[in-house]
Amino acid sequence: MSSAAGEVPGRFGLLASALSGRALEVVSGAPGEPAWTDGARVFVDANTSKCDQLEALAVQASLLAAGSLEPDIARSLSRRPTLARRYLAIEGHRALAANAELLPLPLRSLVDWGVAARGDSPAASLALARSRESIPDPPNRFGVIRARHLLASSERRDGSATAPDRVARARLDHARVELELEEEDDGAAVDFSSPVGGSGALGRLLQRMLTSVRSRDGGGPPGVGAALQRTRAGTRRGSPAFSTANAGALEDAAADARGTRYPEWDVHRRHYRADWCTVHEVGARPGSGAPRRATDARRLRRSLARLGTGLDSCHRQVQGDDIDIDAAIEARVDAMAGSMPDEAVYIASLRRRRDLAVMLLLDISGSVAEPGATTATVHEQQREASAALMVALHDLGDRVALYAFHSQGRSAVHLVPVKRFDDALDDVVMRRLHGLVPGAYSRLGAAIRHGAAVLEERGATSRRLLVVLSDGLAYDHGYERAYGAADARRALAEARRRGTACLCLSLGASTDAESLRRVFGSAAHAAIPRLEELRHEIGPLFRSALRAAEVRRR
Amino acid sequence: MKPRGARLDDATSATRTRPYYVPVGNEEHVFQAAFRQGLSIVLKGPTGCGKTRFVEAMAYDLERPLITVACHDDLTTADLVGRFLLRGGETEWVDGPLTRAVREGAICYLDEVVEARQDTTVVIHPLADHRRQLPIERLGTTLEAAPGFCLVVSYNPGYQSVLKDLKDSTRQRMVAIEFGFPPADVEETIVAHEAGIDPKRAADLVRLAQAIRRLERAGLREVASTRTLIAAGRLMAEGLSPREAAHAAIAGPLADDANVTSGLVAMIDAYLADTTA
Repeated sequence: MSSAAGEVPGRFGLLASALSGRALEVVSGAPGEPAWTDGARVFVDANTSKCDQLEALAVQASLLAAGSLEPDIARSLSRRPTLARRYLAIEGHRALAANAELLPLPLRSLVDWGVAARGDSPAASLALARSRESIPDPPNRFGVIRARHLLASSERRDGSATAPDRVARARLDHARVELELEEEDDGAAVDFSSPVGGSGALGRLLQRMLTSVRSRDGGGPPGVGAALQRTRAGTRRGSPAFSTANAGALEDAAADARGTRYPEWDVHRRHYRADWCTVHEVGARPGSGAPRRATDARRLRRSLARLGTGLDSCHRQVQGDDIDIDAAIEARVDAMAGSMPDEAVYIASLRRRRDLAVMLLLDISGSVAEPGATTATVHEQQREASAALMVALHDLGDRVALYAFHSQGRSAVHLVPVKRFDDALDDVVMRRLHGLVPGAYSRLGAAIRHGAAVLEERGATSRRLLVVLSDGLAYDHGYERAYGAADARRALAEARRRGTACLCLSLGASTDAESLRRVFGSAAHAAIPRLEELRHEIGPLFRSALRAAEVRRR
Repeated sequence: MKPRGARLDDATSATRTRPYYVPVGNEEHVFQAAFRQGLSIVLKGPTGCGKTRFVEAMAYDLERPLITVACHDDLTTADLVGRFLLRGGETEWVDGPLTRAVREGAICYLDEVVEARQDTTVVIHPLADHRRQLPIERLGTTLEAAPGFCLVVSYNPGYQSVLKDLKDSTRQRMVAIEFGFPPADVEETIVAHEAGIDPKRAADLVRLAQAIRRLERAGLREVASTRTLIAAGRLMAEGLSPREAAHAAIAGPLADDANVTSGLVAMIDAYLADTTA
């Protein structure tokens, strides 16, 4: 893929999405190759004319919209290129005709209504294609159907049980060259009817992709790699770096050595396991090198400025809801005495007072080290986002703390205070943030409980907001997905009942955003594909979370 | 001194002809029935789909004055109900827009009511249910709503599905009328009429909008509303080419992101001609 040419078809992504009724990207395919789609992307030749590109993607997008490329159809087309061609010659016209209302006028001339009228469903077109009737080849600009790619991508989506899986897709990009090489010998039998895998080269590749994305679907104890990560966690033990402004330092230190215990909700038995998890606050190791300042903070600040302000009654205002009796009497006395009265005699209730404490919880389990949709890893994106949020909120005068969390079983849930509520926001904090190394697992419920407890104890404001930055549902030893989801939901319910607003942000390649959305509730979760979009989402999200908490507090 | 923030306009005094509104379903019947029964009405629908115009047309049909308040998040109870001002040595009570509507028996339209502070929206509760009363705390009186008073609020449930927090207690006092974008043929008529362009060019604009609306799930926060189409049409009526008009009136307002904008521009170029003919 030449990058210079690749930019040309990319701008048709919106058009392709509109025509197909699903999120569809347009990327440039190999030069001289007819257009094709894998269900998530359309590959068109960037060297052809704009008109040809449009026609090709209109055909491919319409095929997707008309359901012509569903897995059961694709399965009967795979390894049968002649049948696929005949099918495309009929179904292409049918799909275009079905989509004709949406097509731009110039593209409607593509439709051969005579052919389109011959079938009324993909199955009918397939039956026609299978018949002995002679069917002219589809025009070149229709492109081709690559059934096995369609199957591969749909299985990839089903297999990982998530919406468009960007990580896997990014990997697919690298793998595509390899795939195409292998595809040349079309006769080679690769069994695709078995879910994820098979024995062929493509199957192996798929397996590799799937397992490397995340191997947490099994529900079994996550085993491999634990030893390696444990050593990393071990180096972090008991550093003396948490002298806070707290007076009872001795007592605190003792408590920290033992850790704080929290219950955990056992969804299977429907009761709490008392003192089940032990949370340790472990000091962060500052990273080396000059930390970058948070770039997006200034723009975020604008979105956040109106949040979390308390109503203040301001006396002696020029306008307001009520008359300030004292000022009014003074003004009257002044007037009677013959001097110039002050006209500022009203009481206005204005939002001025900052009244918000925010706890940012940053997921640094091993999964966030995966590369994201762009070149940056999820961890890097989450780190940037949390830095930007921290700086923006701090600049606005809110109380803000940032803790990172990961865990290694229930007795070792580690929370790393990057910035405590009373810490100054300085380069040390930034260096600590950049020194975080993702690893191990995560036990979201315990992290939320501890975060909420610290927030309530040290936040010292009436409005409290807990923000979790995570890329997917946690798993840990004895903390499989369904159990973990139930526990996290329980922990959120506890915090919300005490009037703490909770929400969750998933940045970048959120392979598992859907399950987080179910845990946090759709109104308190946002999947943010790119960091720049954070500032659009954050205002309404924070506002609605705070409002919900306010209603509960009353 | 003017009440802060509230925007008032008396539509009836200025309007002689019926504001142009094409019914899509039974919304006019529902509105008139609710009006006659003294029920309050909530209009739900995306921005720019004709909610405000609908209320104007209804106020004209029912021959009631219309008082519109654009809600914002600093709107206080006093902004709606009224407040004391000092004039010379005397205090003087000045009615707010809501109180005026209650006294005169006007239709009071609170636009984008979720934007208002929640402590503000509760003042409409006694008005919105069977009591039809407005207690004015500062005066120590309770006003009975004059016949013909009708409370209409609008809100846009689509704002990211996040701000969906009109309180249940407010919501359940209302009769709801749902709005969507009109079907293609109706929308063509509306765009052609409002912008004064020929139906064929209106049809092109509507087809473009239909395509853009399919993108709602694909990362676009807001889609092209009927209002943006009319704006584009009006630019075309001034002699701009369809593409220029759509770039200015549709692509620009919908997105700030350079990638999204260039995607929209590509769509516009595919759907619309670049000649003025």
